[in-house]
Amino acid sequence: MEELKALIVDAATGESYERPLTAEEIADREVMQAEAVARQAEQDAKAAARVSALEKLSALGLTDAEVGALVG
Amino acid sequence: MTRSRDVATQGGLVLISSTTIGSAVSSVTVTNAFSAAYENYYITVTGGAGSATGYLNMQLGSTATGYYRVNILAPYSTGTVSSFASSNATSWIAVFPFTTNSIAGFADLQNPFNTKNTHLFTRGSQSNTAGEININSGYLADTTSYTAFTLTTSTGTITGGTISVYGYKK
Repeated sequence: MEELKALIVDAATGESYERPLTAEEIADREVMQAEAVARQAEQDAKAAARVSALEKLSALGLTDAEVGALVG
Repeated sequence: MTRSRDVATQGGLVLISSTTIGSAVSSVTVTNAFSAAYENYYITVTGGAGSATGYLNMQLGSTATGYYRVNILAPYSTGTVSSFASSNATSWIAVFPFTTNSIAGFADLQNPFNTKNTHLFTRGSQSNTAGEININSGYLADTTSYTAFTLTTSTGTITGGTISVYGYKK
């Protein structure tokens, strides 16, 4: 398994070093990853709902121009 | 004519630090970035690349709660604007986007050092055809004085590129 590395930089001195992520940092990162996955799922669901809505409007007989005027 | 006294007193961005991101790192912490010298800061992340398509999330100090933000994005393919909210999150999510081509984004921070709420405003864009533009605005719900920030990858690692921190001189 790839070791997760953190880069630490001191803005005052310019000194920097790398170290492995701590267990707490890895746990925090996993929470952030879960939030990112949830965000992507929400984004995908919105996009799918939009496509579905546009298809239904077209099925009602609206032209592309009319659909565009409604939803942009 | 520009007089020396005008140059000496004019405001503008003052470079505080410029950091080259290492190889295959999962997070970058910049310490001593904020101080009493400035109220407002401008952070840029440019160049480099990710091992995958993802985002850099931001935390201040060691705080892992209380991050609020609204994210507005639009993919290049449709331009359709979507918005997403996160409340009391563990970080400001998706602050800077990255792809296997580049990392690109700007952030403004208001009052990270002062004992007031810190406010965040960001703009970023992904460098792939399936990508998107990405805008965030939010705040951190505490009044802690911070001197450091950390950028953590949502997935994979980042290599190369530069993180620059500027102070807004009055």
